[in-house]
Amino acid sequence: MVNYYLARTAQALFTVFAVMTLAFGLIRLMPGGPMDFVRAQLQQEAGAVDQAQINAMVEVYTNVHPEQPLLDQYVDYMSGIMRGDLGVSMWYDRPVSEILAMALPWTVFVMTISLAFTFGIGISLGAAMAYAEGSRFDSISTLVSIFLNSIPYYVAAIVMVYFLGYESGMFPIGGRISSDVTPGLNIPFIASAFYHAALPIASFVITAFGIQALAMRGNSIRVLGEDYLRVAQLRGLPPHDIALRYIGRNAILPMYTGFMISIGFMFGGSVILEEIFAYPGVGFYMFRGIEARDYPLMMGAFILITVAVVIGVYVADLTYGKLDPRASTKGGDREAF
Amino acid sequence: MTEPEPTTTKMGRPVFEVEGASVTYDMDRGVSRVLDDATIDIFEEEILGVVGESGSGKSMFASSLLNAVPPPGTLDGEIRYHRDGEVIDLLGLSPEQLRRVRWEDVAMVFQGAQSSFNPTISIRRHFEETLEAHEYDIENGLEHARQLLADLYLDPERVLGSYPHELSGGMQQRALIALSLVLEPDVLVMDEPTAALDLLMQRSILSLLENVKEKYELTVVFITHDLPLVAGLADRLAVMYSFKFVEIGRAEDVFSNPKHPYTRALLNAIPNLDTPRSRMHPIEGSAPDPVNVPTGCSYHPRCPLADEQCEAAEPPLAETTDKHHAACYYWEEAMEEIELSIESDEPAVDDTVVGRQSDEPVVSVDAVDVHFEQGGGGLFGFFSDPDTVHAVDDANLEIYENDVVALVGESGCGKTTLGKAIIAAQRPTNGTVRYRGQDIWGTRDGRVDGEIPWEQIRRSLQMIHQDPGSSLNSHRKIKSSLEDPLRRWHPNMDPGDREERILGMLEYTGMSPPTDYALRYPHQLSGGEKQRVALIRALLMNPDVILADEAVSALDVSLRLEMMDLMLELQDAFDTSYVFISHNLSNARYFAGNADGRIGVMYLGELVELGPVDEVIDEPLHPYTKVLKWATDDMELSDRIEDPPIRGIDIPDPVNPPAGCRFHTRCPEARTVCREESPSLDEAVSAHPTACFREYPMEHPYWDSEPVDDAEETVTGDPIDAG
Amino acid sequence: MFLNDWLITPLRVIWDDWRARVGGIIILLYVLMGTIGVVLISEPRPGDGPRLIRPFQDWAHPLGTDINGNDLFAQTVHATPPMLEMIVAGAVFTTALAMVVGTLSGYKGGIVDRLLMTFTDILLTIPGLPLVIVLALVLDPRQPWVVGVILTINAWAGLARAIRSQVLTIREEAYIEAARLMGISTWRILLKDITPSLMPYVLVNFVNAARTVVFASVALYFLGILPDTFLNWGVMMNYAYSVGGALYTSGTAHWLFVPLMTIVVLSFGLILFAQGTDRVFNPRVRARHASQDDLEPGEDDMSGEVATQIRG
Repeated sequence: MVNYYLARTAQALFTVFAVMTLAFGLIRLMPGGPMDFVRAQLQQEAGAVDQAQINAMVEVYTNVHPEQPLLDQYVDYMSGIMRGDLGVSMWYDRPVSEILAMALPWTVFVMTISLAFTFGIGISLGAAMAYAEGSRFDSISTLVSIFLNSIPYYVAAIVMVYFLGYESGMFPIGGRISSDVTPGLNIPFIASAFYHAALPIASFVITAFGIQALAMRGNSIRVLGEDYLRVAQLRGLPPHDIALRYIGRNAILPMYTGFMISIGFMFGGSVILEEIFAYPGVGFYMFRGIEARDYPLMMGAFILITVAVVIGVYVADLTYGKLDPRASTKGGDREAF
Repeated sequence: MTEPEPTTTKMGRPVFEVEGASVTYDMDRGVSRVLDDATIDIFEEEILGVVGESGSGKSMFASSLLNAVPPPGTLDGEIRYHRDGEVIDLLGLSPEQLRRVRWEDVAMVFQGAQSSFNPTISIRRHFEETLEAHEYDIENGLEHARQLLADLYLDPERVLGSYPHELSGGMQQRALIALSLVLEPDVLVMDEPTAALDLLMQRSILSLLENVKEKYELTVVFITHDLPLVAGLADRLAVMYSFKFVEIGRAEDVFSNPKHPYTRALLNAIPNLDTPRSRMHPIEGSAPDPVNVPTGCSYHPRCPLADEQCEAAEPPLAETTDKHHAACYYWEEAMEEIELSIESDEPAVDDTVVGRQSDEPVVSVDAVDVHFEQGGGGLFGFFSDPDTVHAVDDANLEIYENDVVALVGESGCGKTTLGKAIIAAQRPTNGTVRYRGQDIWGTRDGRVDGEIPWEQIRRSLQMIHQDPGSSLNSHRKIKSSLEDPLRRWHPNMDPGDREERILGMLEYTGMSPPTDYALRYPHQLSGGEKQRVALIRALLMNPDVILADEAVSALDVSLRLEMMDLMLELQDAFDTSYVFISHNLSNARYFAGNADGRIGVMYLGELVELGPVDEVIDEPLHPYTKVLKWATDDMELSDRIEDPPIRGIDIPDPVNPPAGCRFHTRCPEARTVCREESPSLDEAVSAHPTACFREYPMEHPYWDSEPVDDAEETVTGDPIDAG
Repeated sequence: MFLNDWLITPLRVIWDDWRARVGGIIILLYVLMGTIGVVLISEPRPGDGPRLIRPFQDWAHPLGTDINGNDLFAQTVHATPPMLEMIVAGAVFTTALAMVVGTLSGYKGGIVDRLLMTFTDILLTIPGLPLVIVLALVLDPRQPWVVGVILTINAWAGLARAIRSQVLTIREEAYIEAARLMGISTWRILLKDITPSLMPYVLVNFVNAARTVVFASVALYFLGILPDTFLNWGVMMNYAYSVGGALYTSGTAHWLFVPLMTIVVLSFGLILFAQGTDRVFNPRVRARHASQDDLEPGEDDMSGEVATQIRG
């Protein structure tokens, strides 16, 4: 049992480590890659500044020291990240970690609510569809689910921002909160936060719940055919208990894989979504970094997003171990991560 | 149809009166009648055994007793349940009344215990929720549950605290029985409750069941395909064929004087330890399809006595002699003309195929260990210490030409692993396996430069698997599967010759027309036919040794003999040896005995007894062999099932086998010395090798040491002290 | 014989399911558009027609024109061939790599399995889109097939895991052991006994991979992260968005919505097809709908779990 958690933790740490190494490799080793780009940019801007000064600036910005042996550079880079040093953004001219620290809570906020709604709606609808298998409701819901799932979330975002934002003005077309509220635990602030996050959340939820509903429907139908369900009915358990403890639990557990994939998918998607809604989260800054060819900002955001996903998946994995008694004994056999 | 009169005199009062119960399903092909006009009474505190082959409608009968036929089936007829003098019409109850009757009055145990439990909640929770749903007192109920678990030789606290997957199959099945009894029902319906278990576990559960039934004054309906299993347990037997009852009577009457030709044929088809082997015969033909049942007596196509009358009209289930009902016009003739193998007067002359057995072994296994490592997945598996399973320890065995060796033992005893080590399908952890004196794995790795190339060794050692469903690739036609060995070993063979060879073999094994069979896919074949194809595939390699891993266990009882006969016949024609693996001593006896072979008994990875068939069966020496024999025994009714001659029902964990003699934790003869010292096969002075100190020379310290104290040693809960 | 077993029978079975049928027709339409369509419809040029005609107004320009008078229908059609190339490259890359890694890992086991699966798991955890963006920026791909491969750089990981577990199940089947004992070579066992059982599964996932490519490529072209070396629906959206200001300028909305609908319809077709084939191949689903009659042989024994794998 303890070993199961240890192995999972080791795997999570190793993934983070691998991603940082990848980031280092991309920044440092790619010919004509970011390092040269930063240098060229600085040269252009600074004009007459001498080479040594430029080198020093490149080091500050990228957190990489080109003249040192590769291994030392690598160790410096990694330990820098460990201390929270992600370099300095060239565009904003502020430490990347500072910018992203402000943005992260907002991205996590939008993603968490989106995940909650996606799975809440998906599971309830899927269960209802399985219960009414073969009915009109089932076929229509199936069709709607498939159709909504075939819309890319950014398409939904564009459509919504067009109709609900620009055309009707019902929702804001940018920002995280209105300028007239004071941050803190007060109702106007929270309401404003939800108001601004509504469309991003809706874009994810509308395009994602369908596939979860279909998965839940399939799982429930499978559980409905299990022997233990028949035995439970013969034992006279109340339908409520059977629905919750028997069908619900056994049908939801296999959805964990989908849940973990969704974490990565949604966090990754924040790059596009936050840009469309001009919502200053981590993804928004990553996109700013891309547009301005501000590599420190871009790579910092990339690492942060990955770490957030790894942590999310890790937590999901550990809770799965708590919910399914078979998880820890079967260990590595389970299909997921 | 005349109804058997309910009698109150000898059998007690009826609890169930079933009259004309039928279950039908509407299907595209027509109406499928899977229970046809069943009429029977079940009496208080009796054990009624319902016997039939798969697809005879016996499970539907079981479900009908709880009015719980799986949808969309419909149940018609009348089922009356008597509770304390009150008569309840089971088919006319409201859903809530029905919910109350189920489990509080009539409970049911299913075959697959593993799938009967919710895998995500603990065993304790299963008990609690059942008690809650029926508004029983939880504390008292759990106390009762602990008592029940203890009665079934389980450690109550451990079982209650476990999740289903943490228990072995036998433990799950017993926990399920306890769960079915927790509301103190009057009637327990058991649908093949032990079919998935080892014979020894089956017998042990049956003997416990008998005690539990007495203690809690239960009426038990026991449904099974295994007539001998239930014969000693049941008070009355009812035989089903083609969705109908064809014979009902007192167990001893049905068993020793069966009147229906089907029952007689069924009895003759079952291998057992006492019947002369030459008198067991398979039943010809196959059971009917529920949509297309033959007219008249549905057994007439397979019955040797059938005439026009049987084809035209269905014989009623009528009383023949005292309380013994049979649905046959010619039951008197049947009793004379269809001779029962067990009561034959003729002296038993068994023809054994006397093999031309060589002096030099074909395969010899020398001090072989096979260990598996469990657990540890992914690159980070090093965080979990892998458990080492001792599947086989220190095995020595030699297989000669035209030899048959049957390996028997409970599941998990390592018999399959040893079998695979013999045919080089499993690399041993330690020790050597030799083919005609040449180290097999050394040859494989190129370490040994012998005369025999690896390819030849490989083709000489073949295997037939247990599960007919997975022994053939379902995507490939029979012909394509059978071509593999020929293509591999005779690449230059003419396609015409190849086809001829395959068709010839199909024809020979009774699958005709062979051209038709060759073009079929596996799912168009019956289980028995698939196993025959697997046998052909192995034989096309011209092997020296074939490992038959439970090759007949998955087949219907009546088909097993046929398959074993075919295998033996082909042994003669192809000059091959068999290693036959079975958990069933009777099958082993039939198979190995007919070829003058040997039986090897395995326990927890060790061979504990090895000798000629008749010696091992008639005079088993090792206490464990005696236990196996007890489990397989015999079709005698006179004595009721006794308690098992064994101290613990469950096998110890092979990850951590007991020190000393591995059997000492369960052995009724164990003494303190058995805990420390481990007996070996070859030091015994008995007629054949036996790994037990009792067979050692008399001066062995065993005889001076103290018997093992039961209370401290038993692995599972003691039935009296616990709870 | 071969044709019958491997092509006609599965196709007929697929045709029996309405989703697969509708999805198949939609996919076929796009393929026709990208092959015959480019021949029939001339390449769009600025000034072909008046500026910003709305759709369904002028039948010379059925879907309207953009701000330069480019015909939108012609643009849509001529964006299809590179898109098809990307889809095929991405889907082939994904399924082929997943097949190799999954089968190797599952069949070989041991240290090979551990290493491959650890690598797969790590790739699976890294969020796809940011990784693809970073790679696209660094590599600056200009051929459609390279774009296709970059877009699916970690999309194969999930499929590889799924195939591995399928292989693990199949490997335990008795007929595989029998084949090994008959001395039949590993590659032949993989080819004759293991791969056929995986084909339906792979087909479904091929379609899913195609969807991944469509979604991601359009997104990246839309955001201007990929260089607009050739016409793409995403490039159209990008122009409509940035040049045309389609979101807030009246009269330009259709410029954005034409490519949007093109993507949605294709994606809908792909999902329908995947769902339909999944139902056809999945015995768990199929058994519930099949009658007692003999099933068509040849499409047996796929264990399910396919539908749940669909991702964006």
